[in-house]
Amino acid sequence: MTDLLSYLAGVRVLRILAPLGSCLLMGWAFPSVSLGDVDARRIYETQCADCHGVEGEGVAGIYDERLSGGRSLAALTEIIHDTMPQYDPERVMGEDAQRVADFIFENFYTEEERAMHKPPRIELSRMTVRQYLNATADLFVPMLGEARVDDQRGLTAEYFSSRNFRRGTRVIERVDSRIDFAFGDQSPDPENIGPEEFSIQWRGAILAEETGEYEFVLRSENGARLWVNDMDRPLIDAWVQSGEDSEHRETIHLLGGRAYPIRVNFAKTRQDSASISLLWQPPRRVLEVIPTRNLSPHWAPSMLAINTPFPPDDSSMGYERGTSVSQAWHEATTHAAIEVANFVVSDLARLARVKQDDPKWADGVREFCHQLVERAFRRPLTDEQRHFFVDSHFEGREDLENAVKRVVLLALTSPRFLYSEMSKQELDDYDVASRLSFGLWDSLPDAALLRAAADGQLRTPEQVASQARRMLQDHRARSKLRHFFHHWLLVHRAEDISKDPELFPDYEPAILSDALTSLDLLLEHVAWSPESDFRQLLLTSDVFVNARLASFYGLPIEPDVDGFVKVTCDPQRQAGVLTHPFLMTGFAYVRISSPIHRGVFLLRGVLGRALRPPPVAVAPDDETLAPSLTTRERVAIQTRSEACQACHSMINPLGFSLEHYDAVGRFRTTERGQPIDASGSYRPVEGEPVEFVGARQLAEYLAGSDEVARSFSQQLFHHLAKQPVNAYSSTNLDELTEQFVDSGYHIQKLMVSIMAATALEPGGADVRSE
Amino acid sequence: MTASKTRRQFIRDLGLTAAATPFIWNLPSLGFGSQQTRKQRLVIMFSPNGVVPWNFWPDEQGERFALKESLKPLEPFKDRMLILHGLSNLVRGDGDNHMRGMSCLLTGIELFPGNIQGGSHTPAGWASGLSIDQELRNFLQSRPETRTRFGSLEFGLTIPNRADPWTRMVYAGPNRPIPPVDDPYQMFARLYGNVQDQEKLASVLDEVQADLQKVRSVISADDQALLDEHESFVRRMEGQLRETRTEIDQSWTPDLEPGVRNINDNLPKLSRMQVELLVNSLRADMTRVATLQYTYSVGQARMRWLGIEEGHHDLSHEPDSHAEAQEKLTKINRWYCEELAYLVQRLQETPEPGGEGTLLDNTTIVWTNELGKGNSHTLHDIPFVLIGNGLNFRMGRAMRFEREPHNRFLMALAHAMGHEIDSFGKPELSSRGPLTGLT
Repeated sequence: MTDLLSYLAGVRVLRILAPLGSCLLMGWAFPSVSLGDVDARRIYETQCADCHGVEGEGVAGIYDERLSGGRSLAALTEIIHDTMPQYDPERVMGEDAQRVADFIFENFYTEEERAMHKPPRIELSRMTVRQYLNATADLFVPMLGEARVDDQRGLTAEYFSSRNFRRGTRVIERVDSRIDFAFGDQSPDPENIGPEEFSIQWRGAILAEETGEYEFVLRSENGARLWVNDMDRPLIDAWVQSGEDSEHRETIHLLGGRAYPIRVNFAKTRQDSASISLLWQPPRRVLEVIPTRNLSPHWAPSMLAINTPFPPDDSSMGYERGTSVSQAWHEATTHAAIEVANFVVSDLARLARVKQDDPKWADGVREFCHQLVERAFRRPLTDEQRHFFVDSHFEGREDLENAVKRVVLLALTSPRFLYSEMSKQELDDYDVASRLSFGLWDSLPDAALLRAAADGQLRTPEQVASQARRMLQDHRARSKLRHFFHHWLLVHRAEDISKDPELFPDYEPAILSDALTSLDLLLEHVAWSPESDFRQLLLTSDVFVNARLASFYGLPIEPDVDGFVKVTCDPQRQAGVLTHPFLMTGFAYVRISSPIHRGVFLLRGVLGRALRPPPVAVAPDDETLAPSLTTRERVAIQTRSEACQACHSMINPLGFSLEHYDAVGRFRTTERGQPIDASGSYRPVEGEPVEFVGARQLAEYLAGSDEVARSFSQQLFHHLAKQPVNAYSSTNLDELTEQFVDSGYHIQKLMVSIMAATALEPGGADVRSE
Repeated sequence: MTASKTRRQFIRDLGLTAAATPFIWNLPSLGFGSQQTRKQRLVIMFSPNGVVPWNFWPDEQGERFALKESLKPLEPFKDRMLILHGLSNLVRGDGDNHMRGMSCLLTGIELFPGNIQGGSHTPAGWASGLSIDQELRNFLQSRPETRTRFGSLEFGLTIPNRADPWTRMVYAGPNRPIPPVDDPYQMFARLYGNVQDQEKLASVLDEVQADLQKVRSVISADDQALLDEHESFVRRMEGQLRETRTEIDQSWTPDLEPGVRNINDNLPKLSRMQVELLVNSLRADMTRVATLQYTYSVGQARMRWLGIEEGHHDLSHEPDSHAEAQEKLTKINRWYCEELAYLVQRLQETPEPGGEGTLLDNTTIVWTNELGKGNSHTLHDIPFVLIGNGLNFRMGRAMRFEREPHNRFLMALAHAMGHEIDSFGKPELSSRGPLTGLT
């Protein structure tokens, strides 16, 4: 019984309000108090408050947790009717139970009510780690240029009939889809090139999708060199072929969502045979020949990718945010500032676009510093700032490089650079520009945005929306949305996943790696199509597969398909991300599916319901102990106690509806000889309980659910703004959700709406303070 | 210069270890370790393309010998010299003599078969074993009393941006050539970059705090606590930096002339800069093993400052009968010898920190070359000229051998530093043990 009580409390919150203050607040929040409400309050005060506190804040030593959570009103009523008060459950029943449940629900049970009691505000925030890394890379865009990646894929290739790329010996120029050739003793082009010696150069850009360590592997029995990002120094220099050594590996740190220049030189000189392959292992992926979709035949400029390790951001509210600082963060930003300063002086002539022996060298360098500091601060400098941050460092110092280093260090350790949200009570046009760029790109404003700020073109929601629409076309917006999707779908869960090799003998790490690619392709396909229809993420029966995935999952595919293709599957088997192999594999154990993990994801991640963590860690029963039971039966038995059922009565029926998918996400119709029972149900916060059988019916319910639309709007909002939605007086979640639904669940339009609703709102003050 | 750096490169440039470094990085070692036994240091200096034998080798043996033209600059240090004539690089195998001369010089072992075609012989790849300096580095780093921050440093001068068996003589292992650093500024950053960065940082912290105060005044009162916390970190860092700064003696950091470009015509300047960095790294005990590689095998230094327009390698192919060419080659070798003499002099005038005498009393320099003679490409009579007293060899002598495998000499270097290996490089060439008669 006490277990059950402890469950009732719901989510723990940090702040306990003083009774007097909260009474005043409540008066403000609910100006018209009906007689019924008064009665309900009286019941609560006499029957409940001794243990739960006058405002549900709890009573130390008796029941010290706040009375709040994510259960529906009906469920709350039922619990009160059945079990409350603890010393005499029959005292509050029936209509009384319903009234007091109403009262609790309306006044402090749900998160929104709690939020209204202490309205959050737009807080001073530093850049998140992701924002910092993007901002430092984008600092140099005006000086180094920007990659122009179009739809063409592959690398520009030039073939020479000499062994040393001699001018005049170039016989072929074409685009190769990847670097993976075994020429043997043959020529790549018998008509123009002899087999004895030839050379090839590949050029273009490499498209990194995720941030992290990339291992490049160059395999050749001949001479080869690889440059990535740093075009002055090869990442791999294997020009000397020596002994049996034909594989070379190097690791490089890259930021996701960006293009980096790449070049490969290759030569055969009087050897018996020739071959070359270029592979990589991106974060969370297996080693593979660099796929065509990650190669562009066009030039991209080199980019700064900061190496300094950063402590992770606070994600306790469900999204990364920068409202706290720490010693480790401060050291990381300082270390990174030094890294940037060293980068700048190592390449000063190129960055400042002036030669060292040019008489304009000193002036050019100083002008570059002005430009850099303005870019870092996202606004023009006042005369005083110009002097403080730049000019004063050049006075009386003969060593230009030292002056530059000081300028960079000072600018990059300044709060003007480090803080993305200054929480000022009066925003100017440049603040609005920063809100937009950090919101949609997690990076600095670009030239067009700064120009709009300078021209006073960021003053109305319409102007903001129009900029936001432009900005959505940029690769940084795609990258940010992908980051959100990964966060939403808990992609990191699958990081160290393994499956029982006896049960799944043909399961290999490459399947998971391919499945993640497949998931990403699906997300991009839906989000960046003209319809950008969120419901398709749940409903589509399209899946992206390559030959390996198709064969493992038994999906139809043309036999000679190259890379990933979209196939339309049986709608009864595939329902968007809900049944996607990557998610089904991640929400599963080594041998069996996990309806609990799946149910929790659906409840929290998709429906947006709050759940408490279980009071004790419960290890799932080993399925070998009762081999005749299905997973569904075992989960039902294990969670049958009343204590468990408080949450599991919501979790299990959702998770069970996905029981057609085993531990590696393969469709099945039986388990242990018994037909799959995929019937499930859900009781929404408002409205009637619903029942469904299987993934398709589940998907259709979710796609039409207000809770789902609201939850998605809220999560995307938090991911963009990095402030709580109710910190903004000019918007509210219900309106945003309504607009979202009215727009046909248009994801891109939702992003625009979020920016239009938030970018102009001043910060800092307690806008709804008492 | 570079557009951006790999993590590897970044860490290398800063002289940092790959492990997450605390903010106040490991400073150049200023504690001098154990002073109970004397420090022993080895510097191997290389210049290419053979010598002019009759202007190089003394006619006499033993303690009474006269220095010929090419070695004249070492006259003041004659009693600290040991000239070894008659050692041969007998390794053989794939690759032409320049390649094998270079890549077997310090490794004493064959090159792998490979794709690099020289002017003659079969193509070849990298050396199949590590070089003696790295063998000694590993030995010294394995013992706490001889461990240093870098273990070894590889200095270079005007080496092309090209990795092949002609440009590499130092190997960490089979197929693992180590590139020499031929840009003094890059070497400076590696040795002192962290100190410089900290200095620079310390110099802006007052302004960082002033800026924080200004920003604090424009944000809402509720948020000022966050900036106060931020500022407390800045103050703490300032205190830490102040403490460490007092420990650093600024005179230990050499002053380099800024803006010297890494080109042929600057070789004399670059040479002095690298020597200065080398001497300082030895003095601060950042390393006890170093190599100093002037250009590379077949290197084409054009010594216009000596009035020589031709490239060194081209000249070295001229026949013995071409007197003018031989005179120029002698001058070239003499120039390298002058640089060596400068290094020796700098070591001699630098007191041994925490010990007695000067650095030269505890440092031996070996000057060597990949060929005996340029126009014949011989691998016999490879020059090995030793100066200084880092190893307990009996100095002030010229010694003569008859085609002794140079592996035995490489072994003798190891034994003289307390590393008593049974074999080095190709086993059959080291079977007779370390070269005798040196002590």
